[in-house]
Amino acid sequence: MVKTHRREMSVASAITALALVLAVAAPGYFSGENLGDLFMASLPVLLVAIGMTLVVVTGEIDISVGSTFAICGVAAGILSKSGVPVWLASAAACLLGAVFGSLNGALVAYLGIPSIVVTLATMTALRDGLRWATEGAWVQDLPPAFQWLGLTQTEFPFVAAIVTVMLTSAFAWGLGHVAAGRAIYATGSNPRAARLAGLNTSAVKWMVFTVLGALTGLAAVLNAVRFNQIPSNAGIGLEMKVIASVVVGGASVAGGTGRVMGTVLGVVLLAAVGPALTFLGVSAYWERAIQGGIILVAIAAEGIRHPAYRRLASAAASARAQA
Amino acid sequence: MSWRQRWFPNGEWVLLVVLAGEILFFSAVAPGFFTLGNFFEMTRFSVELGLLAVALTPVIVAGGIDLSVGSMMGLAAVSFGAGYHAWHLALPLAAACAVLVGCAGGALNALLIAKLELPALIVTLGTFSLFRGVAEGMTQGAVNYTGFPSSFLFLGQGYLGGVIPTQLPVFGLIVAAYVVLLHRSVIGRALYAIGFTAQGARYAAIPVARRIGLVYLLSGLVASIAAIIYIAHLGQARSDAGTGYELDAITAVVLGGTSVFGGRGTIWGTLLGLFALAVLQTGLHGARSVAEKELQVKNSQVAVLCGAILAGSLIVAGTNVWLLRAVGAGSRGSDGHPSPAAPRRTVIAVMPKAKGDPYFVSCRAGAEEAARELDVDLVWDGPTSLDAAKQNELVENWITRKVDAIAVAVENRAGISTVLRKARERGIHVLTWDADAEPDARDFFVNQATAEGIANALTGEASRLLGGKGEFAIITGALSAANQNEWIAFIKKRLEDTHVGLKLVTIRPSDDDRDKAFAETQTLLKVYPSVKLMMAISAPAVPGSAEAVRQAGRKDVSVIGLSLPNINKPYVHDGVVQTVVLWNTRDLGYLAVYASALVTGNKLAPGARALQAGRLGQIEVRNREIILGAPMLFNRSNIDRFDF
Amino acid sequence: MSHTLLSTSSVSKSFEGVCALRGVSFDLKAGEVHALVGENGAGKSTLIKIMTGAEQPDAGTLTVAGRDVPHMTPALARSLGIAAIYQQPSLFPHLTVAENLALALETGTVWRRVHWTARRNRALALLEEAGAAIGPERLASTLSMPEQQMVEIAKTVGAAAKIVIMDEPTSSLMDDEVDRLFNVIGMLRTQGAGIVYISHRLEEVFAVSDRITVLRDGETVATRDTRAIDRSELIQTMVGRALTAVFPKRPVAPGAVAIELRRLSNRALGIHDVSLSVRRGEVLGIAGLVGSGRTELAETLFGLVPADGGEMLLHGEPVRIESPSHAIRLGIGYVPEDRRQHGVVLDMAVASNASLASLDAVSSRGLIDRAAERLLAESYVERLRIKTPSVSTQVGALSGGNQQKVALARWLSIGPEILILDEPTQGVDVGAKAEIHALIQDLAERGIAIIMISSELPEVLGMSDRVAVMRAGTVSGVLSRTEATQDRIIALALERP
Repeated sequence: MVKTHRREMSVASAITALALVLAVAAPGYFSGENLGDLFMASLPVLLVAIGMTLVVVTGEIDISVGSTFAICGVAAGILSKSGVPVWLASAAACLLGAVFGSLNGALVAYLGIPSIVVTLATMTALRDGLRWATEGAWVQDLPPAFQWLGLTQTEFPFVAAIVTVMLTSAFAWGLGHVAAGRAIYATGSNPRAARLAGLNTSAVKWMVFTVLGALTGLAAVLNAVRFNQIPSNAGIGLEMKVIASVVVGGASVAGGTGRVMGTVLGVVLLAAVGPALTFLGVSAYWERAIQGGIILVAIAAEGIRHPAYRRLASAAASARAQA
Repeated sequence: MSWRQRWFPNGEWVLLVVLAGEILFFSAVAPGFFTLGNFFEMTRFSVELGLLAVALTPVIVAGGIDLSVGSMMGLAAVSFGAGYHAWHLALPLAAACAVLVGCAGGALNALLIAKLELPALIVTLGTFSLFRGVAEGMTQGAVNYTGFPSSFLFLGQGYLGGVIPTQLPVFGLIVAAYVVLLHRSVIGRALYAIGFTAQGARYAAIPVARRIGLVYLLSGLVASIAAIIYIAHLGQARSDAGTGYELDAITAVVLGGTSVFGGRGTIWGTLLGLFALAVLQTGLHGARSVAEKELQVKNSQVAVLCGAILAGSLIVAGTNVWLLRAVGAGSRGSDGHPSPAAPRRTVIAVMPKAKGDPYFVSCRAGAEEAARELDVDLVWDGPTSLDAAKQNELVENWITRKVDAIAVAVENRAGISTVLRKARERGIHVLTWDADAEPDARDFFVNQATAEGIANALTGEASRLLGGKGEFAIITGALSAANQNEWIAFIKKRLEDTHVGLKLVTIRPSDDDRDKAFAETQTLLKVYPSVKLMMAISAPAVPGSAEAVRQAGRKDVSVIGLSLPNINKPYVHDGVVQTVVLWNTRDLGYLAVYASALVTGNKLAPGARALQAGRLGQIEVRNREIILGAPMLFNRSNIDRFDF
Repeated sequence: MSHTLLSTSSVSKSFEGVCALRGVSFDLKAGEVHALVGENGAGKSTLIKIMTGAEQPDAGTLTVAGRDVPHMTPALARSLGIAAIYQQPSLFPHLTVAENLALALETGTVWRRVHWTARRNRALALLEEAGAAIGPERLASTLSMPEQQMVEIAKTVGAAAKIVIMDEPTSSLMDDEVDRLFNVIGMLRTQGAGIVYISHRLEEVFAVSDRITVLRDGETVATRDTRAIDRSELIQTMVGRALTAVFPKRPVAPGAVAIELRRLSNRALGIHDVSLSVRRGEVLGIAGLVGSGRTELAETLFGLVPADGGEMLLHGEPVRIESPSHAIRLGIGYVPEDRRQHGVVLDMAVASNASLASLDAVSSRGLIDRAAERLLAESYVERLRIKTPSVSTQVGALSGGNQQKVALARWLSIGPEILILDEPTQGVDVGAKAEIHALIQDLAERGIAIIMISSELPEVLGMSDRVAVMRAGTVSGVLSRTEATQDRIIALALERP
């Protein structure tokens, strides 16, 4: 298990600093209602980011999640509209996400095409395919049971919260305490050594892409049922938010490091900043600059506290060179 | 060392073959493709992107990445505009100011990456937001600096000796400098060593941090030069200059054989990658229309040929997205409605701002209706998402194809005007619709509703619902969207002039995303409890905002906005949304094609005061503007009668 | 000696048309140590890759425990009880030692729960058995090379493997660690395992093996009982020619003091109060355990991490070296220990590698003169007898010895007055080793002051005029050529009372 929690500490301090400022300047931010709304708004990013953490730990990346997100939402809507029970439609949407994920995974793991290339292609292909199929029209006239999955507006967030917390804890625990979780780190840390240790690294990569796809499908459903119609252009830019959260949370795009807890912190920091600035009365026009600044400060703090020089002949470098 | 290893160490010769194949193929299928003029136009469009790609090559060779170059273009563009207009600097000083900003931004990247040894990807992801954000903050999203002297615009729009685009020599100079830097100089050799093994380079006494810092600094510098050329090319400096360019530039670099893991790559590889993409894109737009017609005659032949070429380029360009995007667009091109081949039929080319947008999809229905009624060929093509440069490219294409009339929904007023003027010189009738170009660049403007008319309708409704007094908030589209910013300006003016009781407390962006509009409205309702009305002025923002109000149970808050009827029907019937303001989009498309056909048939002269537009009847023409009518107000009583 | 555990018969393999193995037959019996020797490029690595399933042979058969294995894979090899230790450890840098062991040893379904305490305890036990004092919670990326190798050894202990393949396991180990390894080998042998042992260090081969197979140019030259062959005969068999004197050391009249250190310290690297001097024309050997501060001293002298205490005098003038480029300007060259990571850039051509530290000499106004660069490289290819098709060949395609010569060429081309060599002959075959030794002697005769760090005591003793021994970050003693013996060096390195 990785013992250094530097990035997590750094991000957690940034969150704490933000919370302190808010507690003084805008205590209304901490109302239960606002926190609940924030949680529901960041839920899709959180679920996808957990799957993305797995993919990034294996040293790969998936930037097609935004397109998968849009398609899964639309698919869930179209199915429920055609009379399929809403829970079945939701399950089908998750399955569809898993199928798209496993397609990416198969191309990456078994054909050896770089993941950035594969998923850039599927991102464009899926998005354009959806645009062609829907001509930009939204899915409307959904059955009443679709919104809130047949629950009420007050019940649903609790169900969603329970599902999310359970999934997050399961992945956080599983990555550390189940052999399959460790195989993911091994694959990303030193693929050659992993193969020599008898691990099927291709299967591991294929699997993490599939899991990411399924989680993206789930995120799309949980997000779609908060509304009574489904836009066909959902999730544009989702991949950037997700990847930003994951890397800010400490995962290295070179693979081998990254933990669910760090990702959760990354999601919290990035999701909390936007509304916080509104609460603090900052003009929307400066918001993006301030967000960029906060990311830079959060990671630069780590670099400044820990001077650049490390042991020159690091084993990590030599292991990577052999791979 | 064989000549092949020396010049094409990473298999770049494959790209050369592809490029030649592309040129041969498109010359065969697209008339007017293989001309010197077309070649130079293509290079003109590639210069800004090419500059970024060339600057990124050494960055990637040294094992790094710079995602912030596109944003830096925006920031440098705004600095230039502000320097010239707001601070009244002389042009060279304004340019110096932009370059200085570029260097400063590059230095920030360099400091964080080279000195503090933070991962380049995260750092430039941060500065990607930071630079764009500062640009938006400086301009409040709205300011659009135009009105640069023509001597300056010559840099981006003029010709040297009548044929060579002015910016081409500038580009050549910078490319030459980079070739020397990367391939001939001591520094370039160091960059390769660093890219292969940064630790090993330290042991060879290479000042690693300084070399890495230098490439990021230069990349900021070149991005600012690209920004200056971009301004001269499009005639305006906006905070959204260069949006998305970083990804396209990286694509060109990677396609050109540069390894993202560092150590491998050449400048000429990048140039080949760039031109392979540019030729494919231009060619596809030209070839598509031909293929459409020939599909009728020798259906299978053309399909097979197209397929073979595309498959071939696909295999070669395994690393390339942009290509896939173009292929995606190409395959969709055939869903146009080819008409039976007949001798010399009228061809009317109509361009929306973005093809997939529901708003323009509904316009298209009207355009097709008019084309059927008038028995003309309709070419409906446009960028897949808002992209001013792509619009220019398409117009160039249509000029090459010699269509009869062009009708453009303009994304960028100053930028497109030059090419529209060129179209008019070649005897093509030019109309604009939805948004206008410079008046001298078109015959007529089909005006759906004036910005002032929309602003007045929205403010009037707000005043009526709030009883003449109260607070409201605006949810806009993207902060830099030109239309919305124009409306906001008129709304603010109207508030001062007539509705003094109304107070606009804040403006929030939705980025044309329903879910973001939803979240923004949720926050607004809590931060400003006294706000009693949400005015959403982007189509997806109205239902998003309405859903937030409904879920919050705030029956005291009304929602109005500018949107499409269909997606708002549930909320209008629930009483959450009171009024949706819009013109009849189907009629707009209908009128654009109808007017184009009349102009082509010389039935509509510049001095006309009115025209007969089929089922729309008599339409007023005022000062070469064809007025569709006042904006419509959709509400519970009439909304069900409209389906778009 | 009993039944055969593993055999290959008439195995052939070629890479892109280059024949690496030609009809090689080899067998391993239970309870024996079978050494595999040969110069670099003789085909040893390819043969063991075939045994472990990392490569498939083009022809010939592989038999394990009496059964033909037509398609060997790493996973199958593991299940057949084959374990391997490579010259370069292949650990997971981001994972702990305990986890590295667990990944190699634990079996069961992928959904099984990981028991961290059990893992830790097992790791402790295995490391103990292998004789390594390494905390199981440490990240592999923080381990030194020898420590990593000890973890690899612990892996094979834990695997209870029937067939253990060791490829240059000692190249980064110090003598006492080598002893521990030999203990482990003895233990495995008594348990009935067979061991394939590959090493360039012939003393070890004679000390540990029962039989020796010699490979040359991809073919089996001979298989002999270790007792039936002596050292010179073995060398002759390996290189196919007789070698003259093993160490070409000739006394050189020492010149003025080139570099003098007075209580030099570098806290960041953990060295302190180092006092030394080296004269022109002198070879100062530096011995000591791995981790005693030898490489760190070199890195300080070279300015990779500037010193933070004490004095350094160059030709009598006090200096403070701030960076490697500063060191170069002062005429100091450094051939680092890790050749593949630091010594050369594997993906770059011979010419570019040779000129990398002296680009100023082949460029004018910042632009490289390619012709001058080629000339420079070609002159060194000739002078150092670097075996390469051309100077534009990538260094990664050359053998270890030739790579090391390219690394030397890089530093000779700056015209150094002081040259630091860190493990100059590690992983280099016998022939090239002798050539490098001759070169060192030659350089000393030209008046260059040489600091030579080496873990191989015969080399230190054979080549040095004086030997400085380091222990725990400082110099524990300096011995003259006449005083220096293996025992005294080891005593100073360990400071045994």
